[in-house]
Amino acid sequence: MTDFEEEVQNMTFEQSIASLESLVKELENGGIDLDKSIEIYEKAVILRNHCRKILDNSERRIEKIMETADGFKTEDMKID
Amino acid sequence: MYIGESMPEIISVTELNTRVRDIFSVTPAVNDIWVSGEISNLKKYPTGYYFTLKDASSEIRAVMFNSARARIDFEPRENMKVAVFGSIDLYVLRGSYQFRVATMRQSGIGDRYLAFEALKKKLQEEGLFEPSRKRVIPMYPKTIGVVTSQSGAVIHDIITTSASRYTANILLAPALVQGDGAADSIVAGIELLNRAKVDVIIVGRGGGSIEDLWPFNEEKVARAIYSSAAPVVSAVGHETDFTIADFVADLRAPTPTGAAALILRDKNEIRSQLSSLSQRLERAINNTIVAQRHAFDILDARLDPSNARNDLDMRQMHIEDLSKSMDYAFINTVRTMRSRFDLLDSRLRPERAIESIAEHREDIDDFLSRISSDLDLMMERYTMRLDSIGDRPDKRIGSILRDSKDELESNSKQLEGLNPLNVLTRGYSMITGRDGTVITSVNGLNVGDNVTIRMRDGSASADITKKEMKE
Repeated sequence: MTDFEEEVQNMTFEQSIASLESLVKELENGGIDLDKSIEIYEKAVILRNHCRKILDNSERRIEKIMETADGFKTEDMKID
Repeated sequence: MYIGESMPEIISVTELNTRVRDIFSVTPAVNDIWVSGEISNLKKYPTGYYFTLKDASSEIRAVMFNSARARIDFEPRENMKVAVFGSIDLYVLRGSYQFRVATMRQSGIGDRYLAFEALKKKLQEEGLFEPSRKRVIPMYPKTIGVVTSQSGAVIHDIITTSASRYTANILLAPALVQGDGAADSIVAGIELLNRAKVDVIIVGRGGGSIEDLWPFNEEKVARAIYSSAAPVVSAVGHETDFTIADFVADLRAPTPTGAAALILRDKNEIRSQLSSLSQRLERAINNTIVAQRHAFDILDARLDPSNARNDLDMRQMHIEDLSKSMDYAFINTVRTMRSRFDLLDSRLRPERAIESIAEHREDIDDFLSRISSDLDLMMERYTMRLDSIGDRPDKRIGSILRDSKDELESNSKQLEGLNPLNVLTRGYSMITGRDGTVITSVNGLNVGDNVTIRMRDGSASADITKKEMKE
């Protein structure tokens, strides 16, 4: 796993899609040499795949929160 | 009726009632006012409600048409204490006046309404509703906090609606949303969710009467929303009436379902955004590669040995053309000079012309060999230059060609100097005898001989009268 892939793993969806958008714009503006263009392209693909993964694979927790003596606790909530 | 007195104005009853109606309609004191009283003699007609509004000591007829009826969410009943909003209207046909009701609130609520208006004004002045302080709702929240009843339809609707949207955790802070203690319970919920560091909070309930919504009009709820670190979306579930909570919240959703839809983007919408980004990415990289390949092709073509060969051949042909045209130029020059010799030759004694040519043979041969070696040298130079394909080779060849041409011209001038005719132009004359032979010695002359003197521009006839030999 490259450093960049590791970095992307820790990125939120919002950060990833924003980075992806700016890389696409950079590439669209052109004027970048081939090596750099391919590097940007590879990063963009990693970001896109990360976004898709978050979008398709994430599961949500549905919980309720309650006040306790030392703060609060959360517990799963049954959905009728 | 007396003569001289002005005739008093006499009007019809209709005119009178019309005038009174007109006076009523422009008098602020009886227009757009709230009146409190109790409903009695309530009658329902297809056009609306007709009733008497009374208090302890007075009463007035009132009418509420269906258009106004649609604006209230309760059924008016006999003996109900109400506040009605509207204007005095005169029924011209009967000469009776009545109160036309535009809207109606149940009493007690009328007091609350005033309290609502006062609080709204106060918080507005404090800047709690300022658009500039509204926080941005995060586009992709991790966790949505919800302050509402645990048992109602609201939380259920939010969970269902958000299922097909961007995935976010839902954290419910169960709260009372109506009745005593509701406001405190809502405030506690907002504070608790802030401690849990949720990204956004929905505060709401599923509609209800004005009375049911009341907790959302309380100052402490407004202040809790204002102080919340997480942005707050209000979802009180009442399309028409705004609560104080709606004014303070960062975003007002018409219903809890609407709140979930406003906060979380549709998954398919995000997917198509990603697809579009992906397409743009592919297009951009392809464009880059096509551009780079094009640039490479140009370089490659220049580097390709077969292309270089073609290029060399082309230039070789060009040089051959050039040297051919130089040959022609040289041949033409020689031809011109030759024809001049021939002309002279016809006028001179052939022997002399041959002698003269023989005399200069060496010069001519020398010239010819020089031209020839110059051409060889030039060819050599072109070939050398071709070896290094430099910039603007055509231009260089052109300049070399110009140099050669100058050289050629100077050489032909030299050759021109050798032309015997030119001697005549310098002031010398040529004398020929009767038979046309050139006389170069007095030995060939006798007194009385007739000779021809040739000069630059013609000839003259002369008789020899005397001859003398040099010692």
